[in-house]
Amino acid sequence: MARQAAVLAAVALLPAAGEAVYFRTNISWRSAVAPSEMVTVDQARAWGDTAIWVDARPDDEFARDHVPGALSLNEDRWNELLPQFLAVWSPGKKVVVYCSSLSCNASREAARRLRKEAQLPEVFVLEGGWEAWLKKNR
Amino acid sequence: MKTPLFAFTLSMIMCLGARAELKWEQTNVELHPAPNDKQAIGHFKYQNVGKTPVHFKSVKASCGCTTAQTQKEEVAPGDKGEITATFNIGDRTGTQVKTVTVETDEAPNQKTVLTLKAEIPQQLEITPNFVFWKQGDKPDTKTINVKVGKEFTVKHIKVTSATPNFEAKVEEAGNGQFKINVKPQDTNKPVASMLTIQPEDSQKVFYATARITNGPTAPMMPFAPAGQKPPGAPGAPTVPTAPAHPTAPSGQTH
Repeated sequence: MARQAAVLAAVALLPAAGEAVYFRTNISWRSAVAPSEMVTVDQARAWGDTAIWVDARPDDEFARDHVPGALSLNEDRWNELLPQFLAVWSPGKKVVVYCSSLSCNASREAARRLRKEAQLPEVFVLEGGWEAWLKKNR
Repeated sequence: MKTPLFAFTLSMIMCLGARAELKWEQTNVELHPAPNDKQAIGHFKYQNVGKTPVHFKSVKASCGCTTAQTQKEEVAPGDKGEITATFNIGDRTGTQVKTVTVETDEAPNQKTVLTLKAEIPQQLEITPNFVFWKQGDKPDTKTINVKVGKEFTVKHIKVTSATPNFEAKVEEAGNGQFKINVKPQDTNKPVASMLTIQPEDSQKVFYATARITNGPTAPMMPFAPAGQKPPGAPGAPTVPTAPAHPTAPSGQTH
């Protein structure tokens, strides 16, 4: 029985290895985020007024609805929106960036740029994004 | 031992029998848009090499910045076509990877992921693009580093502060690098200024922000230093605008 399992496991490894070799030059389309840079809706809400909510979704989705008090900061108009966000940011504030759902990448990219380009500390990505916020608040 | 091996072999044969009939010329496209390009467009060509028509059930892009179009809903046996993926660059920089997921009726849950990779050239890399002092801090000079992208040649840059509250001086650091030394007149009151950075012989303009912050609880009006008007008001500092993005197809995540 153990031998059969080993044979099946070995056979299953073959296509996996082939795929790994074939796609070795492909990079993931999602930006990597360390677990310490993620935050849940409950954690972020507990921060109260010390948090600035940033909406990384496109303008039309932000216009439709957004977290109350959130600022729009998307990469379509980054150069225009960034100064408006920086005028509101203060030392000691935590920044919570969200996009539409668990699978979106815009919040990760926006958070990465805020950390790297503006060199802001305490920038977090909201787990589950806008969908998660809606579930907890509507 | 014979039974599981037979089952495995049978399942492999069934998988091969149900192979996709739509054959893609390529599922990965790499693009190198020019510095001022607004869009990067990828063409994914296919041919129906099967004996039955193939129907597209859905074509979804991974973000609102990308739209995807099919030429037709049904692909007859032997027919060729392409899916066009248009990536709106906006203010994005560096390596951008966007995907388009194509679902057809070839087999249950038959999905093909098309990948569009675009290398957006960056003329100037500005780090940090934000310098600040807390109200009452010593008005020391802070430095913004500017690095010229490897595809570009920039010998000089010009930096202008939108308000006289900050002084910005450029220092050439060699090897395509510059230092912008920013110094506030004083840190007595909360003010902000946009620094406009323009490479010599270039129409492209870059921005950085300098600001005196007034503490964590009382944010100031965006770019409205004492006695000045907010953005959009006559006489207010100009804020750059990016092209509007197109409407995203349904089913996307942003």
